[in-house]
This record gives sequence, structure tokens and C-alpha cells, in this order.
Amino acid sequence: MLFHRIADSARYASKLFFMNGMALLSILTQGEIRAESASRDDLIRLAEQIDREIEASVEHHLMAPVLSDAAYLRRVTLDLAGRIPSVSELKRYEALDTQDKKYETTKQLIESPDFAYHQRNELDTLLLRALTNDRNWREYLLETTRNNTPWDVMFRQIMTPEISLPEDTRPTAFLKHRLRDLDKLANDSSVIWFGVNIGCAKCHDHPLVDDWRQEHYYGIASFFKRTYQTKKGMIGERFDGHLRFDTTEGETKDAAFMYLTGLSIPEPQLDLEEATLKEYQEKIKKAEQEDSADTPPQPSFQPRSELVKLALGDETQNFFAKNIVNRIWARLFGRGIVHPLDQIHSGNPASHPELLNLLTAEFIKKQYDLRSLIHAITLSNTYARSLPTNDGSKDNQTPVESDPQDHEEFEEAESKFGHAVPRPLSPHQLSLSLLIATDHPEKLKEKIETNWEQSRGQLEERSEHLAQKTEIPGENFQTPVSEALWFSNSGEMQNQYLSTDSNHLVGYLKEIESDSEVISNAFAAILGRPPIQEERDTLSQYLSSRSGDRTETIQQIAWVLLCSPEFRFNH
Amino acid sequence: MEHHHRSDTLDRRSMMRLVGSASGIGYAANMNQINAFAQDALNDQLRASGKRVILLWLAGGASQLETWDPKPGRPTGGPFAQIQTSIPGIGISELMPKMSTRLGETAIIRSLNTKIADHGTAYELMDKGRVNEAGVDFPHLGAILARELGNIESKVPDYVSMYTSTEGRRKGSAGFLGGRYNPMFLTDAMMPENIQRLEAITDTDHRDRAELLDQLSKIYARHHSHPSFEGHHSAYGRVRGLMASDYLFDIERESETVRNQYGPTQFGQQCLVARRLVEAGVPFVKVARAWWDSHGQNFETHQELCADLDHCMSTLLDDLKDRGLLESTLVISLGEFGRTPSINGSLGRDHFASAWSCTLSGCGIQGGTVHGKTDQDGNTVVEGEMNAGDLYATIFAALGIDHTKEYMLGSRPIPIADFDSTPCYPILT
Repeated sequence: MLFHRIADSARYASKLFFMNGMALLSILTQGEIRAESASRDDLIRLAEQIDREIEASVEHHLMAPVLSDAAYLRRVTLDLAGRIPSVSELKRYEALDTQDKKYETTKQLIESPDFAYHQRNELDTLLLRALTNDRNWREYLLETTRNNTPWDVMFRQIMTPEISLPEDTRPTAFLKHRLRDLDKLANDSSVIWFGVNIGCAKCHDHPLVDDWRQEHYYGIASFFKRTYQTKKGMIGERFDGHLRFDTTEGETKDAAFMYLTGLSIPEPQLDLEEATLKEYQEKIKKAEQEDSADTPPQPSFQPRSELVKLALGDETQNFFAKNIVNRIWARLFGRGIVHPLDQIHSGNPASHPELLNLLTAEFIKKQYDLRSLIHAITLSNTYARSLPTNDGSKDNQTPVESDPQDHEEFEEAESKFGHAVPRPLSPHQLSLSLLIATDHPEKLKEKIETNWEQSRGQLEERSEHLAQKTEIPGENFQTPVSEALWFSNSGEMQNQYLSTDSNHLVGYLKEIESDSEVISNAFAAILGRPPIQEERDTLSQYLSSRSGDRTETIQQIAWVLLCSPEFRFNH
Repeated sequence: MEHHHRSDTLDRRSMMRLVGSASGIGYAANMNQINAFAQDALNDQLRASGKRVILLWLAGGASQLETWDPKPGRPTGGPFAQIQTSIPGIGISELMPKMSTRLGETAIIRSLNTKIADHGTAYELMDKGRVNEAGVDFPHLGAILARELGNIESKVPDYVSMYTSTEGRRKGSAGFLGGRYNPMFLTDAMMPENIQRLEAITDTDHRDRAELLDQLSKIYARHHSHPSFEGHHSAYGRVRGLMASDYLFDIERESETVRNQYGPTQFGQQCLVARRLVEAGVPFVKVARAWWDSHGQNFETHQELCADLDHCMSTLLDDLKDRGLLESTLVISLGEFGRTPSINGSLGRDHFASAWSCTLSGCGIQGGTVHGKTDQDGNTVVEGEMNAGDLYATIFAALGIDHTKEYMLGSRPIPIADFDSTPCYPILT
């Protein structure tokens, strides 16, 4: 059994009881539900299956080599802990001499307090962060990532909060912040949970995708049409409300409660006296307007709940599971197996359909356990492949620019995951990594080894300020010039991160006498690797040629490494 | 998708359009590849023409009745009179006396019907030229024009946005065009954030460390090159240039005479900064003046705000003209909507998007013209109705940009002006 028994009973046989004589509510508290981690053998078997699928699809000579230990640890620490590794963590990893080095280390990372914060931040980015920064919601998410709440349970809690967690207003944020705009609510829900952008099918059948017709758009929107928010901050649903739409042929149609698979749910006849209905409507209105109003009645037909059932019951196309598997994959590789991520449809086939099906089936089998999925992927060789490398002979040129056929092969290898692509750090990854890199390495080591739980919490708090100012990288990420200006000229950069006091990296480096050691230590702390000879020579020359204050020169060197593309990206 | 390709007679503009759609294909490849560094020749030609835009943003919604479309003597007219302008037969509100004599390069549009009348959504509509669509992050006007008119290697910023605290956090975004086209903001200070060097570091050290960064980045790029790294490199490459343009924000460098002409108000000073910026080649500058949302005491509010608008706008137009910049600079005055003709119980006017006005001056505009007409009380458009897409098409056409040009978002073409929009040809040169 991969699952606690109590979780099973809560999830699949939700006890129902009456409240206020009319409302059906199920007990479902998140603390009870926790996926157990998959076994080592399960994870490694899945990692090997990933490698087999990928290796079968890319020609051997286009496959990039697997990363060095240090480079792998940087990549995987960013992906599992949301920050770069410290110098001490790097040293420890390189010194580890067991066969199971990768497994042991990734397991530790996944069970660390870091992972819960990072996973929380990533889920927030997926679900809400682009719209708003909601503290209570983030606290709720942190609980789910600490408990490893399964993805389907989170889906229920977030999409039907009034049923799943009636005493908790925090998970309502997803719906609440989109309530003003039904189109946004419907399309965001479809994009985020199912990987399907239906926006183009609003005014006409999707012009480019045969799968999506107007009835799908209005079908999905219908599930949200009755949703409202009470003054107390809870979510509810009305007893009535239908969408109608005009086809391009000028026909007006009633929208059905229709899911993406085309399956629709007939609405049962509303068995209420007109006077009762009116009374309920009044109560709902009151609850929308008044803090002190009673909990309004809930209808027995609850469209959002029906949508959740349809999505979880879809065993043919598996949009719900496939979507998150594809998104997790894209998070770790910079590109989805289906890409773009919101275009899961027949006209946009997956690069590796069998792999996607395999991962999806495995994910469902493991009770929608995100940790196991992420863990298995990070154990694969596919995940550990390097960026394509140049031979170093040409300035600033990809090897592929010389020959169009090479270029094609290169693109092919990239879209088939034969080599890695650089991924911009998320706002939190950047902010946390900046704090880690510029901390005093010995003091940081002590924090990590003694009371990391507490220190990590403080670090998270401290990272918020810069994280909020930093752009969430989208599909077309380019480092914004405002960021380059902040790195170059802000007081925070100069006085905090590059501080010369004894709590920071520069303060530590300035006490080191040998220039060469200064350079090695700066590289280790910031880039997690030793410098190559050319870099060492360039920096040595810089250090020795400066007539000014040595501490200032060291500050400049630390600044240069922090502003490098190598620091800004996960690669 | 017939509506992507309308068939017009083959006039000069259609030819323009054909040429433009070829460049659109160039972008299609770019957008998929996300390679902001590749430029196509046709766009370079457009850029070379040096077109600029200043948007005077009337945040909160200015009343068309107290500015460009007065209804004197009608129940909706309010207390102010109409004054004759330099255009025969056309009067504007007496609150705009200076502009009344300076309409030679200005076209008034009196027939906007944009339908949406809540601040948030209407702001999005008028700043993007289209209704938001769930799942598509459309760029704002400034970002489109920064891309179309700017030079990727430019040393000066290409999108500067000045706004006051009352406008809240509505900053405008580059949407799917990417962070390269995000605006440089001025919020409470007249100087953009982090554009000036800290005292703690000398200019020499600042420059030397930037050069060291450049050197190390090049070593790294020899081993690992990728467009993302190049984009990063180029952002840092722009830093020193932008810092060197800090003087553009410093109006103390203008003569006292000029500063006095623009006057002491924040709006005036920001208009002066805007003129300095376009003069130095910045393609898009937005200056926001708030807060026009006069639900109560509409007339007092407009007495105060129109005086500022009238003075600053006319000074700006005069100054641009004197410097020979007006021919290549389009000045737009626009808000998110107008105000109701009916006057409410608090002597205010409410939000109104069915029949309102804006102006376009300078570059590509047939001056001394009025387009469109509202009924005698100003409740409806009776002639020449335009929506937000049409206004955008007009703005693009005035700047010589093909309004049917498309960006590719994945496999989906998105025209820079909304589907089915048409430029208002009578007010274009």
C-alpha cells in the first residue's frame, strides 16, 4: 500500500452528513491525507524507463554527456530545494563514495524543509502568483507540500473548497481571485488543471484545433457560472444559472455541463417549491453582502464538484493527470513533452507519447504523488544531461550556426531532450540563491548542519522582498534591463548582498590572503565550480592590476560572478 | 479565417500592407524562436524613419463635454461655454483656450464607442486596443511601439512610463512580447530606479567591473552559448548606456525659459521630460495625469485639470513643433473612457464609454480635422463610430506601421490591431 488507510477512506468514501438541515458536506481534512514515498526500486525503475524512451528517440551522437557531480548537484538542488547548494553541501556531495549517491542525496533534498518551500512556490506560480500574492493561500499551499498532499486531493480542495474544507477559507483563493471574470475563471481552470486552452473557442469553434468547439468552451464555463463568494470569504454555488451562446451560424444554444472529453452531466430537475427557491436565493444574496449572514444553503447539484468528478473519472484521455505530469516535466527540462503546455490536443502531438502515457499511468498508480514523480525524473540520466557545448574555438557562436543541417539536428535533439536547455531561475530561486551565495560560507555551513528548519524559514522570509520584484519567467523570458539595473546600482546589492561585514561572502573573502584562493572560493560559493584557467587568469590579472582598495576589488569580482548568465539560469 | 485578409483596392496603403505582412512573417519565425536579436530589413527601415509617440494618459476618464465635444445650452452641457477654434465651425470647451488656437496639427476624434465603463477593464482595453482574452497575455501599446519603432541595440530606453500614485499599479506590460519590452517606470521620483551610480562605487570601478563581466561572459559563451545567455548579456550591455541617459530625466538642464513654459506642475515637468526623451530617440513615452474620475464636483475638477492639460499639451505641441519634432512625433491624449452627459446629484459625471473623445496630433495626422459626431446631447455616436481597435489601427497607420501586421503566438496569428479594425483614413495624411 502506498497510501495510508485513512487517506483512502477520506478520499474515496467521503463521509457525508447534513449541516443546517440542507447542506451536504464531506469531511476531508488535509492533515489526514499524505502520499507515502515510493520505494527506491520503483523510482529507479521509472528513471530507467525514461532513459530508454529518450535514448531510443535521439541519435546517439546528438546526445549530450551527463553532468559532472558539481553541476548535477547545482541543477538538482535548484530543482528540489529552490536554491543553489552551499559550498559545504558541494564538498560533501563530491566526497560521497557510495553507489547510491544520487538517490541518497535527492531523497534527502526531497525530505528537507527546502523542498516544501520550493514546491509551494512552484505550485503558487502555477496556480495564482501571476495574479496576486496571497499570504493565507501560500500558507495553505505550504501545508499541502509539507504533507505531500496528493494532487487530486489538492484539486478537490481548491476547486470545491466549500465541500472539501468548509472551515478553511485559505484554499478559496484560486477561485476567488478569478470570480469577477467568468472567462478567466473557466479558461485559467482549464489551462492550469487540464492543459487545454479553450479561449480560442469562445466566439467560434477553434479555428486551428479541431478538438475544441464552442460547446467545450461554454461547457467548461458552465461549471463555474453559479459560483459566488460570501462576504465571509467562502465560496458557494447558486441553485440556478445557465449559459447560452450564439454559434457562428447565428443559432443560439444552451450550454451543457460538458467536460473536454465531450462527456456532459445532465442537471437533475430542481425539486424545490418556488417560494423555497426564492428564500434560498435571498439567503445567498444576504451571505454575499453581510459578514454576519448564516452559511447559505447549498444545492444538491454542484457543478464544480461534477467537473472534479468528470476530470478524475476520465480514464481515456487523462487530461488532469497528463497535464501535471507534463508541467512537472517542463519545469525540470524547460520544455513539455507536449509543448506549449496549454495545447494538449490531437493537433499538437507529444514528442514522446509513450513516455507521457507511461509517466501518467505511473503517477495515477502512485496516487497522484508529485514527490515520487519529481524524484524519479531527477534520477534519470536524461535529466542529468548537460547543455550542448562548444569546442571553445569560436567566439560566441553555437556550433550549429555554421551548417543548417547541423542546426536542424540540434533543434531535433533539443526538442527530444537529448541535451539540456538553460532555464531562468524563478523569482524565489534567484532571491534565495543570492542569499545563499553571498552568505559567509562557514556560518552558512553551521546553519545547515544545526538548525536548518528554522534558518530555512527565515531565509524564505528574507527572500520575499526581491522575489516580489523579480519577473516570473514566461515562455519568452529575457532578462529584463530593470533587473540588470538593480544588480548594478541598487543599494541593496551593494550594502547587503555585497556587504564586507563578517556575516557575508565578501567579508569572508577579504580575510583570505592568496588571490588565487579568493578566486577559487568566490567561484565555489557563487557558481559552485572551480574556475577554468582562462577565468582564473582574467580574474588574477584584475585583482593584481587594481590600485584601489582590495576589499572593493573583491566586491567587484563577487558582483561579476553574481551577474553572470551562469548564475541567472539553471543549466 | 477570411477576416485576416480583407481585400481592399490596391492603393498605396494596401501596398504598404503587403510589404508589411512580409515583415510579419519575419516576426513569426522570431516569435517562435524567441530571438530578439534578429532583425529584419523592413523593420529597420521603419525604425530608421525615427517615429516617436507621446501618450498623455488622462487617468480616471476625462469628460469629453468639458474638453473636445462640448454641448453648450443643452441639459447635459454643464456651466461652461464653448469657444471657437482655429478650425472653422468647430468649437471646444472654454476650459481649453490654448488648445483652441493650436489645432493645426491636431485631429479630434469625437466618436469613440468602446462600451466598457469600469476602470480596470477599460484601462486594459484602451491600453491594449482589444478586449482581454483569457489565456492570452496581450502586450500594451507602449510595448508594441517599443518593438516596432525601437532599436534593439538602443542606448536609450525605448518605453518610459510616468505615472502618479493615484493610478495605482496599472503599469502596462509587454505581455507575450517578453520582458525586453517592459517599460521603465517613474513612480514618485522624476528619475527612474537604479539608473544612477551609487556613491559607494567610483565611475571607473563601475565601468571596469562591467567590462570584466563582459569579458567573463564571453569566455563562458565560448563554451556554452544559448539565446537566453545572449539576452542576459545584452540586458547588462544596456546598463551603462541607460545610465548615461540619466541626464534626459534631469529638467534642470533645460533653460529657465523652457522650464517656465512647461510650468511647475508635475504633469508639466513630466511633459518636458517626455520631450527630452523623444528628442533623444526614445520611441514611446507615456505621461499619466490623474485623477479625472469626477463622480462628484465634475466642474471644479475639470476646471483644475483641464487648465493643466490645456497648458501642458499646448506647450508640448509648440515645443515639439519649434524643434522640428512634431512631424515625426505622434502625441495622443486619451483616457480609459469619457464621462456621462447626464449630470448626477453630486454635480458629477459618471463613467461613460459610448460616445467620447480623444485627440491625435503631429506625426501622420491631418491637422485641423474633426472625426465623428455625437448627438445633440452627447449620448450616442451618430457619425463615424470608432472602437478601441480602430483607434489603434489609426495610431499604427499614422506611424507608418501596417496595422494588420501579425505576431505569432505559437501557431496563432495575432494582428497588432484587433481583428476587423480599420484606420480612420480621413484624419491621416
